[in-house]
Amino acid sequence: MNPSRYGAHRTLRAVNFVCNAPQARAVSLVGDFNQWNATANPMKRMPDGAWFLTLELRHGHHRYAFLVDGHLTLDPRAQGITRNDAGERVSLVPVS
Amino acid sequence: MKRSMASGPESLTEATRAKAGTAPSGKIHPVIIYPFKPPEEYADLEELYRLIASLDRAKDRFHRPITVIDRKTHASLEGNKRFLDFRNHVVAKCSDILDAWCVDTCQMWYSGLGAAFERGSPEDIYWLIPGDFNYGSGVGREVLSRLHDLPEICLELGQDICVGEISTDHNHAKRLIDTYGTFALLYNWFPAEACEIRQYTEWPRSEFFAVRHGFLREVLRHRWFAYEQTVVMLLHAVFNHKRICRFSVGQISDLPEGRESLASCVQQVERTERVLKTIWRERHAARRDWAEQYRTLEQQSEQIRQTALIILKHVLG
Repeated sequence: MNPSRYGAHRTLRAVNFVCNAPQARAVSLVGDFNQWNATANPMKRMPDGAWFLTLELRHGHHRYAFLVDGHLTLDPRAQGITRNDAGERVSLVPVS
Repeated sequence: MKRSMASGPESLTEATRAKAGTAPSGKIHPVIIYPFKPPEEYADLEELYRLIASLDRAKDRFHRPITVIDRKTHASLEGNKRFLDFRNHVVAKCSDILDAWCVDTCQMWYSGLGAAFERGSPEDIYWLIPGDFNYGSGVGREVLSRLHDLPEICLELGQDICVGEISTDHNHAKRLIDTYGTFALLYNWFPAEACEIRQYTEWPRSEFFAVRHGFLREVLRHRWFAYEQTVVMLLHAVFNHKRICRFSVGQISDLPEGRESLASCVQQVERTERVLKTIWRERHAARRDWAEQYRTLEQQSEQIRQTALIILKHVLG
């Protein structure tokens, strides 16, 4: 196994998040990676009404959700579903 | 060997190690269920065992894989050189073979998961890998490259069971059985639990899953049915407030040799009904009025089964 595989340059990957909520006034991305902090990762509204954010995440699996006008919302395109520590249903994203 | 997996256990190991600098201490036990009716062409099994060989090499993360082979499969192919060569030179090289006389596939799961459990420790994860899928196809390879996510999610996120979902055509037998049979029956016998299961998955009988040591210990010690064991595990997970998750592994088909006939589909619906009835009685038989409620549910259950049969007959027949 090549030790360079574990170098710092391989530990982060850019991941695109898209939330289709044209009527929303504010959308942010919350997850284990930002301690579910509503203000840490606001998403940007695109001309078509979708909200977009690119975030660098570590390798592994991350729980996340969209906060749409304060409401926790699952990502319908997510590869998985689980619950967060508060027992709410959230989405799963793998980063490899 | 034509190719290596694009995202196999090496990336899995990397993912685990890179995550916040804390490597989970548990190990993963792969348990492979060898096809009851092996195909004449070995391309799918060859692709699967390329993955298993790579798991076997990653000894810091994986226990030695276990392959469960039904003795009836072996007996029917005793004179088949291709089978014996594959068994001896591929399967046995990268996994321990557990030969067992089994009533059904779920009993192969029981034997394999039980044998792995006896080698395991409390932080470990057990990963069931069915052998009868088209892993040699392009989409099959894609699925193989994602399967390791199931045990890894359990390990990283502390989940008790992670169910792998496949995507198929809406008229695929498995989908029809689960939509019109399994879920309809679940909502009849266990409505609250069915709602909870439905929040995670549309495939409550998935053959792809990973399970944590503590939860496996619990389910191994419960009554074990020779069929529809994933449904039983999911019910136990909901009854006992376990951490459940679902992960999509992609598009895949079972091999033609194991594909369901109408009779087999009907049998699967009947089996599910039988299992659910048994669990319901186990949980309610202590109540004074259980028999009356049971009769009502049984009548509804029969209607559900007959409706499922009509749909299956018209779509598959």
